[in-house]
Amino acid sequence: MRLLREFGSFAVVLAATCLVATVLVIAVGSDITRAFNSFFGGIFGSFYSITEVLVRATPLILAGLGVAVAFQARFFNIGAEGQLYMGAVAATWIGLYLPPLPIALHLALGLVCGFLLGGLWALIPGFLKGQFQIPEVINTIMFNYIAINLVGILVRTVMSNPESPLPMSARLPDNLHLPLLADPTRLHGGLVIALGCAVLVYFFLYKTTWGFELRAVGVNPRACTCAGISVKKNIVVSSLVSGGLAGLAGSSEILGIHQRLMEGISPDFGYVAIIVALLGKNHPLGVVAAALGIAALQMGANTMQRRAGVPASISLIIMGLLVVLILGRRYFINPTPGEAA
Amino acid sequence: MESEFLATATALLAASIRMSTPLTLAGIGETYSEKSGILNIGLEGIMLSGAFFSFITAHYTQSLLLGVAGGCLGGIFIAMIHGYLSIRMGIDQTISGLALNFLSLGLTSFFFLMAFGKTTELPECPVVAPLPIPFLKDIPVIGPALFSQDLFVYGMLIVVIVSYVVLHKMEWGVNILAIGEHPKAAAAAGIDVPKTRYFAALLNGLCGGLAGSYLPLALLGFFMENVTSGKGYIALVVVILGRRHPVGVFLAAILVGAAEALQFRLQTMGTGIPSQVFNMFPYVITVLVLFVSIGKNRTPAALGEPYHQE
Repeated sequence: MRLLREFGSFAVVLAATCLVATVLVIAVGSDITRAFNSFFGGIFGSFYSITEVLVRATPLILAGLGVAVAFQARFFNIGAEGQLYMGAVAATWIGLYLPPLPIALHLALGLVCGFLLGGLWALIPGFLKGQFQIPEVINTIMFNYIAINLVGILVRTVMSNPESPLPMSARLPDNLHLPLLADPTRLHGGLVIALGCAVLVYFFLYKTTWGFELRAVGVNPRACTCAGISVKKNIVVSSLVSGGLAGLAGSSEILGIHQRLMEGISPDFGYVAIIVALLGKNHPLGVVAAALGIAALQMGANTMQRRAGVPASISLIIMGLLVVLILGRRYFINPTPGEAA
Repeated sequence: MESEFLATATALLAASIRMSTPLTLAGIGETYSEKSGILNIGLEGIMLSGAFFSFITAHYTQSLLLGVAGGCLGGIFIAMIHGYLSIRMGIDQTISGLALNFLSLGLTSFFFLMAFGKTTELPECPVVAPLPIPFLKDIPVIGPALFSQDLFVYGMLIVVIVSYVVLHKMEWGVNILAIGEHPKAAAAAGIDVPKTRYFAALLNGLCGGLAGSYLPLALLGFFMENVTSGKGYIALVVVILGRRHPVGVFLAAILVGAAEALQFRLQTMGTGIPSQVFNMFPYVITVLVLFVSIGKNRTPAALGEPYHQE
């Protein structure tokens, strides 16, 4: 019965969202069939469009996993955006300034350093929360802005391209590129890494003692203290892993797509990742599904803007509405607040 | 030489005040909310909604007064949704705030494109004129900086003073403080916790909407997608730097505004220092302030915790 209501309410949320989207499309004066066709055409229309959805989903899966790991330990990591940028910085640095290495080693080093720098970027707010109970929400937001401005400074000064006046780094060597999975599309090895990480995170969270402790801290920190599980250690660990995964998203974007550091490589991936984690119920499988769904939504909306004149910002409305309704529906299933939190 | 320096300093101070006005207004709104125990990350969305509705109203009616009213209502709209979600439903405040930012950005961009299409020239709206106050404007330095500004700035100064009195000299301010620290005890003492929190959310929307209106109606004269571009998050910074005290928020906002004004000036001078150095400044200071205040935690104890009435 409870399961039925759960699914029923989910269906209602989806129906309501679709209804709002339809109303918006009509309001903007676009032809409904045309909008519908271009939306799904933008996702499933061709092999290329499908690969583009997967390309878009790759950083969302990685950063979404990161946010999910942190949320499981109740560390509210709003800082995935900044951690992603720091991962991108690390990967570019390794790619540009290290003497030539075997390609596989060089790529691996770039990814690992992306993980480490992203992790470090989250570790600072994580440590401050674990050790001194400084609230992490504001701190991680601060670190987002610091990271983004840092990238702006780097591409204009020490990492700038001497041959170009544009604020971007030099291009990485051509062969320093994650393997393409379906040449000539942009689909790259980052997707495999992302899916691999999802499996690893699943095992880490649900099959290891560390993962168990981490989740236990998220459920009841007080009981953990009594049971001898260190809350501090687990918050720090969760922040490190969380930031690392977001950093990996950044380095995979550099090594798989952009090949150089510049501003604006992330169209809010880090913030969308929070929605991904939430919709995926902080479970690795759910995160993968949610990331694919959100990526499809965004690509479909882009095509709908080009072909049917419906502003692509409709995807933002849908995302915001989905979150509000999904969180809100728990209240309607079980109207004792507290369960809803 | 000296008078030239004085003129530059005065101009810089005046620019800082203008830049700081939306931050102070939004920051004071958020102060009410946070003191009552509600952390609203949706401030960015509140400001954006305020900016959009003030612009739309002012554009079509050509009336500044109606524009400001529209902006306030736009801000209140988002703030009350956040209030309902976090007070009535007990939903996580950070997540609902974040979702509202997305929603607000989506809705304003969508309706803006819907109303005006993709045009090369941005549609315009009326802008408030500066209104120097007689006599006061002749005081050296502070005269031009504080008393030759527009009505928004004067309104902001009044909001600072009124908020100081309300929060620190009146019973209602103590009530707000109490429900932010210990809602259960406050309720036992006869304070209506949800009602007070709703009222704090209302003030947050009002101030945030006003702050948003300042952008199209005073600074810019137009609206564009994502016109606030993170100002709401900077206002959150200002709240922390100002330690949730109206005067502190005002001073912190001036500090941030000065960094912004200085950056514009240096850019035109072409010093070669990337503007990001100055942009980064308030965030770094905030992290340092948070770090330095270790041990003397002044955060309301119940901040972010949903309250369930028994």
